[in-house]
Amino acid sequence: MKPRINPLGRDLLLALLFFALLLFLPPLLRGAFGRASVSYLSLGINALVLATLALSWDLLARTGQLSLAHAAFTGAGAYSTAILLRMADVPLWLGIPLGGVVAALLALALGSVTLRLYGIYFAIATLAFTEVLKTVVQELPTKIAGGAPGMNVTALFRPTLAPGMERWELAFVRNQGYFWVYAALLLVAVIISIFIQRSRLKSAFTAIRTNELVAGVMGVNPARLKLLAFVLSSFVAGTLGAVEAHRLGSVSPDGAFAVSTTVLALVTPIFGGLYTTVGPILGALVLAGLEETLKRTFADGYLIGYGIVLVASILFMPRGLVGLLSGIAKRLRRPGGGQEGGMSSARAMTDEPFTAPEETP
Amino acid sequence: MKRILATLVLAVLAFAAAQGVTIGVLAPLTGGAAGTGQAQKAGFELALEEINAAGGVLGQPLKIIIEDTKADPATGVAAFEKLMTEDNVEFIAGGYSSGVTLALVESFKTFQPIVSWIGGAVSGIGIDNFDGIEELLGQEEWFFHIHPWDYANTEASTAFQVYTGVDTVALLHEDGAFGGPGAAGAQALLEAAGMKVVLNEAFKSTLTGGTGDFRAAISKAAASGGEMLYWIAYDGDAQPLVSQVRELNYHPKYIFGAPPGWPSDFDKVPEAQCVTGMIGYLPNLPNPEAQAFLTSYQAMHGTAPDNYMAALAYANLWSYADAINAAGTTDQAAVIKALQEGTFRSPMGDWSFKPSIEALHQGFGAEMWFIFQFQNGVREIVWPVDISTSPLQTCP
Amino acid sequence: MDLSLLPQALVSGVLAAGLYALVSVGLALAIGVIGIVNFAHGEFFMVGAFLAYQLFVSFGFDPLLSLLFVAPALFVIGAIIYLSSIRFVLKAPELNQMLLTFGVGIILQNLALLIWGGDPRTIARVPYRAIGYKIGNISIGLVPLGSFVISLILVAALYWMLARTPLGRGMRAVAQNRIGAGLVGLEVNRIYLIAFAMSALLAGMGGVMIAVIQSPTPTIGFGFTLKAFAIVVLAGLGNIRGITIAAIVVALSESLVATMVPNGDSLRNAVFFAIIFVALVARSRRAY
Repeated sequence: MKPRINPLGRDLLLALLFFALLLFLPPLLRGAFGRASVSYLSLGINALVLATLALSWDLLARTGQLSLAHAAFTGAGAYSTAILLRMADVPLWLGIPLGGVVAALLALALGSVTLRLYGIYFAIATLAFTEVLKTVVQELPTKIAGGAPGMNVTALFRPTLAPGMERWELAFVRNQGYFWVYAALLLVAVIISIFIQRSRLKSAFTAIRTNELVAGVMGVNPARLKLLAFVLSSFVAGTLGAVEAHRLGSVSPDGAFAVSTTVLALVTPIFGGLYTTVGPILGALVLAGLEETLKRTFADGYLIGYGIVLVASILFMPRGLVGLLSGIAKRLRRPGGGQEGGMSSARAMTDEPFTAPEETP
Repeated sequence: MKRILATLVLAVLAFAAAQGVTIGVLAPLTGGAAGTGQAQKAGFELALEEINAAGGVLGQPLKIIIEDTKADPATGVAAFEKLMTEDNVEFIAGGYSSGVTLALVESFKTFQPIVSWIGGAVSGIGIDNFDGIEELLGQEEWFFHIHPWDYANTEASTAFQVYTGVDTVALLHEDGAFGGPGAAGAQALLEAAGMKVVLNEAFKSTLTGGTGDFRAAISKAAASGGEMLYWIAYDGDAQPLVSQVRELNYHPKYIFGAPPGWPSDFDKVPEAQCVTGMIGYLPNLPNPEAQAFLTSYQAMHGTAPDNYMAALAYANLWSYADAINAAGTTDQAAVIKALQEGTFRSPMGDWSFKPSIEALHQGFGAEMWFIFQFQNGVREIVWPVDISTSPLQTCP
Repeated sequence: MDLSLLPQALVSGVLAAGLYALVSVGLALAIGVIGIVNFAHGEFFMVGAFLAYQLFVSFGFDPLLSLLFVAPALFVIGAIIYLSSIRFVLKAPELNQMLLTFGVGIILQNLALLIWGGDPRTIARVPYRAIGYKIGNISIGLVPLGSFVISLILVAALYWMLARTPLGRGMRAVAQNRIGAGLVGLEVNRIYLIAFAMSALLAGMGGVMIAVIQSPTPTIGFGFTLKAFAIVVLAGLGNIRGITIAAIVVALSESLVATMVPNGDSLRNAVFFAIIFVALVARSRRAY
């Protein structure tokens, strides 16, 4: 019997390594590309935002709740921090997490009410919720929430020009700050995801997703766990929305609650690999990179290429990027027999709920 | 030997070409505002061709790099930063969405290139607790704003409404960031001018998710008895609004709309008869610049310039070319001075930058707007009277 | 509150249901009967609208005439899309279907953008567009009346087809038990193909109506997709007759709020979705 390294510990270590990489990426980029690193960081920020959006959505999807309300929570986070700032002068370091808390409370409310809705019924109910919330926010007194035009939001980072500094260096410092903040938020989401995947929660969530009735009979409490997933997912989404509000300088009903946010949140994990930690992140990086590459190569109609890639991805990699990669890895492993190593954590991070591990102790 | 010479010549030529001026352009080429973005692109391309045919900028062909903002703030910021740090441009043009412009404020202030902007009309003036673009960027030396501010629209339309002599106005506006503040401003000006606003009602535009059924709002307007139906919404709302007014048998003396643009082919819609509208540019403007613009635009793109944004984009690029040529250098202070002092061309005639309420450099103001009326399938200019092509008619 | 406007609000509201039903009936077939989660449904709608526009511009066809061409055209387009992509995800999880159809939607949307540009397109001459019949204080628009009647016919026809024709029975069999249906000799793949192509056809017909009512742009599709999903779900998956009732409920509520409440029209979407939400939640409670 081989001594097994604690998988949870291994995953956490990998996550910390990944975060360390992100930490050092900005100065590395600056060293390699100088001025252009500002642009790459800008793109990197958008990729990190997409990754966090995707992973937070995936957390909820693991319990079978396919939410079309993700924009409601990013929007709620954005508006909360803006309103708290305007009405009570709440400092940003407090307002941003509070945005997450408000979103989580909202999720608790929505989740409780929709516990008995499934599949497309649940999805439409959550969509309906988002639209109603958007209108409610728009109709709030203008002094509080700004009405249709919305509100200005203070920037999170506004570095000042030191003597001898060039303007692009100023932009770099600002982008670096945002990059680190988003990386930290992504790390939080990753840690939450790892703790779920490496605990009994993973099988519980999977059981609920597969057959909630049977899960209930098996001793799982579906209601409590579904709400837990909802709260965790929305806390991350709300905090993300709050940070975005401070980066982009304003909130408005149409911008904060845009359906396109929700659509991105669900498209990305499907592309990258559902119900895994790596999948949504990988999906975000690839999709963001793909779109930018297409944009730079083809001026007009580059989105047609993007659509073709999405269609092809489902046809040729139905289990997402992660499914594709683990399939390749499995085929590589086969000749050599069962090997411990990097694969088992990747495998545990992919969705294989009912297959027994290949090597028996 | 010949090959080395050829390579050297090519290298020298390439080096010389690399010295030309590049202007970065931000426009919503895809997404919900693609119509505007594509019109801007068409205007920029036309101006580019003309500028280079006339000798270019500082003796070199001018180059432009157009980046798609998708009318999305995060994309817009990344696109701007790419232009500044990968393409290393010193001059920024274009612009449309106010949301994108607001998101760019921080980045603009960080890099401080010259920004000459044909979008972001939300001035913020008159809205409490909200800082619009005029308030946030107006005082910057390097910021030039070409598109009229939102309050200029209401100035122009009120002047026209006074001219018609109506006493009562029923005001319908889309409920978003364009219609809401616009209607509030309009009501204030109308009442200050002695007219009674008998209705001020919000409705959902087709642009923001409405189905195009405006019958509820129109029936309220009909019940209010307003002599003029005044609507503030988007181009996609024009046709359903006008058709449903007829369908509901509402016959105001005037129907006046102030969308940012008008749909192509709307001239030929019989229900548009007697509808008046406000616009900044029309192909049948009598001045020679408009005629020339129409001809060259049709030659290059095969259609008439339907969207006034094409005209603004044209003016945007030409003013840059003229200013940089006048300055004789790309040095920022010199170009700023040239932009401040110059008179520039556009299909609407000559224009220049002047201070506005809170901005140092504002291009067009209320004088850019004029009123046309659909008369028998033609958009006749009816106001200001001195450029009119036909007298104003009341609706039957 | 101006009660004098109430009768008009009631009439306008009921007639407006026609548009909602037209948009949803095709989706009811795709998702309600066959189970294909088609996020590109609104794009078929948009393509129908633009085809009607183009037929007018190129040949001067009235939209009613265009229906005869748009219907088969959309059938063919739907069939092509089915054969090239949809049929491979029939057994896949719903999320995969969503992503695939979303990708198809992006392709269609951006193709339309390339071909027609982003500005709204108006069909200039529709002689019956602004006709309204006055009965007392109430105006009954010909176009809303027409779309209401057409939607009733289409819903009834779809229901009849599903209940009485062999093809329809085959569709219901396939929806209930795909393997069993194949075992008893039904050509399952052909049935799926026809169902999907028909849903595209129905969407296209709705699109022609939209080209009359509005000035469509390439991006109008997705908003209608979401509303269509909501109505189909409100009616209950598989409940075809319920489409008309669901459409009337939401359209009437929208109209009443829009007319009776100051600035009520801006609450339209909220009313629509609030009804959907309340109905879904209430129904889920009752089931247990």
